[in-house]
Amino acid sequence: MKEAQIICVGCPLGCRATLKVSREGEVLEVTGCRCKEGRRYVVEEFRNPVRVLTATVLTEGSRVPLLPVRTSSPIPKEKLREAMKVLAKVRAKPPLRAGEVVLEDLSGTGVDLVATRDLPS
Amino acid sequence: MRLQGVDVAVIGAGPAGMAAAIRAKEAGAQRVLLVERQEELGGLLHQCIHNGFGLLYFGEDLTGPEYAKRFIDRVYDLGVETLLETTVLEISPEREIKVINKGGLQSFRPKAVVLAMGCRERTRDQLGIPGGRPAGIFTAGTAQRLVNVEGLLPGRRVVILGSGDVGMIMARRLSLEGARVEAVVEILPYVGGLIRNEVQCLHDFDIPLLLEHTVTEVHGERRLEGVTVAKVDSHRRPIPGTEVQMECDTLLLSVGLIPENELSRRAGVELDPLTGGPIVDQWRETTVPGVFAGGNVLHVHDLVDNCSWEAELAAEGAVRFAKGERTEGREICLRPGRNVRYVVPQRIRGEGPVTLFLRVREMEEGVRVRVGDLWQKRFRVVKPSEQIKVELSHKDLRRLPDGVAEIRVECEVAG
Repeated sequence: MKEAQIICVGCPLGCRATLKVSREGEVLEVTGCRCKEGRRYVVEEFRNPVRVLTATVLTEGSRVPLLPVRTSSPIPKEKLREAMKVLAKVRAKPPLRAGEVVLEDLSGTGVDLVATRDLPS
Repeated sequence: MRLQGVDVAVIGAGPAGMAAAIRAKEAGAQRVLLVERQEELGGLLHQCIHNGFGLLYFGEDLTGPEYAKRFIDRVYDLGVETLLETTVLEISPEREIKVINKGGLQSFRPKAVVLAMGCRERTRDQLGIPGGRPAGIFTAGTAQRLVNVEGLLPGRRVVILGSGDVGMIMARRLSLEGARVEAVVEILPYVGGLIRNEVQCLHDFDIPLLLEHTVTEVHGERRLEGVTVAKVDSHRRPIPGTEVQMECDTLLLSVGLIPENELSRRAGVELDPLTGGPIVDQWRETTVPGVFAGGNVLHVHDLVDNCSWEAELAAEGAVRFAKGERTEGREICLRPGRNVRYVVPQRIRGEGPVTLFLRVREMEEGVRVRVGDLWQKRFRVVKPSEQIKVELSHKDLRRLPDGVAEIRVECEVAG
């Protein structure tokens, strides 16, 4: 059995939870959370931590140098660095509208990269 | 553009100003004019490319540019008039507004004004860090603009002073862009921003957080070469002998925001030393009749959603004023009591409802926040970094006995 420490980000309390985890990675016990929702969050954060990635990509043929982008939904945390390497090679070409897909299936996550603002030419 | 005959003029087109202009139009003002220094609407939202905006206002998790776009589209749909690339030079106590742009100098007198100029970052000068003047020292917001709008990386090895949200968000942003963030240094015993940012911006990227530490000296001639970091005592004074040297080429400062009130001051608006913003009533009317204020110009908010909401209140007040509807009635002062740093509004005139914001002085667990005998609520924890919003209804205020001139807003230890 091992232990994992996870801080809940659900509210200003910031409970420091301790998870007892079996050798197979099954969560056996959660202590230190002060609410039910927090317990659900820390277990999910232990099993599969995900984040929305927001960044910028370079543009080509626009008067603005950068286009702000986001992933259309959260991606696994450990994929963030790899995704940034992919983004470094992307060139966004106008015209693009906010919400339009800039790149499909970012780093094999099945999640798209979308523009968060209009890109003028 | 003909500037005579404007009902409500809004100064500044960030999240507060845009919301105010929209609401003024919705509330029935004929001509609403939005004056903005930059070449587009949106203010700082364009450089805040991260998400976390709009959770309260729209019930959606939006990035800054996405949040801005919702308001920009509405501004144009409703026919709000905009004056871009225009600087307001002066507002007189009689609400005469002097503006300058490529077309020259113009003056006009709207029926009511909403101030929405936002805030500014505190700089190195206000901290008095000893050392030379090497390149490489930026406020976090300037660095954010460089990285997110202009496409420039301010440096490769970075120390960040201050653990406010902008500082932590820049720590993550710079790490993702390939810079190395050596540490986030915080003078207080706890982190200045949201817990979510501590976890997702610092822990996720293994960035050390040094609590109860500060930067005591900067080194380097032409370019920053390093900083001295020392532990501080309970009075926030550096402890001799605890200094360590940190090599870095960049220092970001995320050490607080100050409401931007140069124009307000010259208009004769009375400021509250506790907030740095105007003294207002529940309609966010300042001490100068017909001049209203909302958003970060009034007091620094944690969430942009609250800036927009508050500016809408100011806009409603401004429209009432423009129509000649005056608020009359008894005046009551709201005074910060135990463990309350400030309260906005500072006074109530006439009837409710009243939306009130307060911020505590110190972190405290198990408290009851109380607005006189009108309202109270238990909190498991209160923190200086988490603003508290209180809604007092018309009915709540009716319960107030005659002759009350002052209400104390305070935290008491809950039994």
